[in-house]
Amino acid sequence: MLFSSITFLYYFLPLVLLFYFIVPEKLKNSVLLFSSLIFYGWGEPKYIVWMVLSIVVHYILGILIEKHAGTKKAELWLVISIIFSIGLLGYFKYTDFFISNINKVTGLSLPMLSIALPVGISFYTFQILSYTIDVYRGHAKAQKNFVSLATYVALFPQLIAGPIVRYVDIASALEHRTHSFAKWHAGLRRFLFGLGKKVLIANSLGEISEIFKSTNQNTVLFYWMYAVAFTLQIYFDFSGYSDMAIGLGKLFGFDFQENFNYPYISRSITEFWRRWHISLGTWFRDYLYIPLGGNRVKKSRWLFNILVVWMLTGLWHGAAWNFIVWGLMFALLLINEKLWLGKAINRLPNIFSHLYVLLFVGIGFVIFDAASMGEAIKRIASMFGMGKIKLADIQSIYYLRSYGLLLIIAAVGCTPLPKRCVARIRKIPHMDHVLAVLEPILCVILLLTATAYLVDASFNPFLYFRF
Amino acid sequence: MQEHQKNVIPVMFIGSIWLMLALFCWTKPSDEISKSERRELEQLPELTSDMLLSGEFMKNFERYAQDQFPRRTTFRKLKAYTRFNIFAQKDNNGIYLEDGYAAKLEYPLNESSLLSAADKFRYLYEKYMKEQNLKVYLSVIPDKGYYLAAPNGYPSMDYERLFEIMKSHTEFAEYVDIADVLELEDYYYTDIHWRQEKLIKVAEKFGTAMHISKDLSLKYDVIESDAPFYGVYYGQSALPLEPEKLYYLTNDTIRDCTVYNVETNQTTPVYDMEKMKGKDPYEGYLSGAAPLLFIENPHAASRKELIVFRDSFGSSLIPLLLEGYSKVTLVDLRYIASDYLENFIIFDNQEVLFLYSTPVLNSSMVLK
Repeated sequence: MLFSSITFLYYFLPLVLLFYFIVPEKLKNSVLLFSSLIFYGWGEPKYIVWMVLSIVVHYILGILIEKHAGTKKAELWLVISIIFSIGLLGYFKYTDFFISNINKVTGLSLPMLSIALPVGISFYTFQILSYTIDVYRGHAKAQKNFVSLATYVALFPQLIAGPIVRYVDIASALEHRTHSFAKWHAGLRRFLFGLGKKVLIANSLGEISEIFKSTNQNTVLFYWMYAVAFTLQIYFDFSGYSDMAIGLGKLFGFDFQENFNYPYISRSITEFWRRWHISLGTWFRDYLYIPLGGNRVKKSRWLFNILVVWMLTGLWHGAAWNFIVWGLMFALLLINEKLWLGKAINRLPNIFSHLYVLLFVGIGFVIFDAASMGEAIKRIASMFGMGKIKLADIQSIYYLRSYGLLLIIAAVGCTPLPKRCVARIRKIPHMDHVLAVLEPILCVILLLTATAYLVDASFNPFLYFRF
Repeated sequence: MQEHQKNVIPVMFIGSIWLMLALFCWTKPSDEISKSERRELEQLPELTSDMLLSGEFMKNFERYAQDQFPRRTTFRKLKAYTRFNIFAQKDNNGIYLEDGYAAKLEYPLNESSLLSAADKFRYLYEKYMKEQNLKVYLSVIPDKGYYLAAPNGYPSMDYERLFEIMKSHTEFAEYVDIADVLELEDYYYTDIHWRQEKLIKVAEKFGTAMHISKDLSLKYDVIESDAPFYGVYYGQSALPLEPEKLYYLTNDTIRDCTVYNVETNQTTPVYDMEKMKGKDPYEGYLSGAAPLLFIENPHAASRKELIVFRDSFGSSLIPLLLEGYSKVTLVDLRYIASDYLENFIIFDNQEVLFLYSTPVLNSSMVLK
């Protein structure tokens, strides 16, 4: 089920909230778990089995790891947990990728298995792993209550597209959490702003990508427009989803970690990755990069660690070479910043350091969105006028005119400028009261307008669902 | 304002509106059709274990929730308004508005589709017409984008190339160029089609090209249909467009002609007055979409017969050519397969006209 669907907004969510708040405290997790399974099963009923199996296995493994803490047995149970989780993810997500590569390298023609990817498996696998690893490290206690652990893994606000919530961050909230008007207000506001970002901005920008991909005769202008639109779309799509997830979390009394912090205002790639998909970046840092030795090893090993982490970051996003290249491109840019040009980039005037980040991030997302590396190279080459294509034509100019304002709104909207403007206005005498009146009205306008778009919708999938 | 009130009032305000809409969704009786979109709406799907396990129930429920949303048309208008007036976008669902005309973005030119259409015409010619030495004509009807799109900065197909391809690949047919006699005002504001009351000059052009000028009086009574006409783009664009007037042209010949519909096995007049008051008044011309129609003209001055391969544009033009023929056969290849025609039509001494609009030629996979 999508957050941005009529079914979720007007059937599922009101009913879940109703049941959640009428049942006694001790049944609230059960309501959340049951509704989360419906939420997950709504799209793909058969994959509930795999998720429930995963929860059962890790419930037992968590207890066993804690029981044998400090012994070799705990290590063994952790290894089993990792093999089981990564094995399941690997089977569903990477089997055909490896078969096709084996076929290419060896000339064999092993048949593809055409396995459908269960929605959100990459996210809940990492959440489960964070649980067992943290129990092994002694950072968290094993959860004895099955419903509580299952609620953590299946919790519908963050189940299928993050943020990747760590068990330790919500362990106490799973046992006891507070609900208040302040939290509901913040939750509603956050959810509706996220809904607006997704439905009004990201989906509309997505139309540019769709039109671009459906046209054979593209121009340099259209290639750039596509690159800019997709770069903005993926931000508004993913951060909008995260906003909705965080907002929903607040409605149910949880506080999830922030996942985005205006990544496109970064002045270096290092800074960009501190601001983009924060929960994934910190997961890889804490559960892979640091265990590999981080930067406290000799330089060659350190570089190896960076390359491994970023290759796997790319691979996590998708089972295709363009994702691996995308990850490795960032690895090389980060190594460059750490070893050679980092200080020089910091000394650059802001405009140039921003352009440097946006250029490589934009090119990165062109690679990310391509169906193959060949297509990615063709698109990047075409952006720079290679391939005998026209600079512009009536079609690309039309779409620039048609989507120009939306692109400007999106470009401004992904910076802290609107937030700063509101903060300034708030300082003007009495404006705080005016904003307090206007804000809920704006929220309702967002709800109604997003509903209008959904009622008339044709383009709606979340980009990050395929991961 | 107290801190508590700052949170309670917004929560109550947003929550009550949200809940009210949800309650509307749960309690509103289902509508059967959307008049503005001219389509049936999704109904509540049946809940069975098979439907549930296959995920079909969920897919259908999503469509049901969208289709049956309370005040759906109003919400669709709100979306159109937001796109055009807030985000300054130029089209909604591919429909743009220029000079009061709503039109669909028709581009790019699909050359393989044109070649496929030309191949289809050639196949028909060689199968049914070549040996009989029938006189064949071809005419392409430009959609209003030909006059509206490019001059106003909208992307459009390369119409000149379209005409050229169709002409050069159908050398067996004499081409009748009507693009030069048409103009934007000859089309409806809210619909894809042309206005019958503006087609006398087109009929005259065909009369000259097909040597029936002497039989065409080109004198008609112009009758206004009672019902307001909301064209197909009215619903698709969800814009607050004004209704139009629909007129039809008639005279004694047209009044006395009979139309036999092979599919329904019914004989009707040229104009269906009931359909002119229905959800799509344009269907009043020759009773709308039909695979095969035979029109008999009891007042014909000659025994000439005509077979027209056509789309819906033909429905409003053909009545104006009836005086020139004793019998006109209308074939719509979107609804009947080419090879099936020999069961209904004996090709011997008729004239043949291929009369297709540019949108159909550019998506000719619909031709069977």
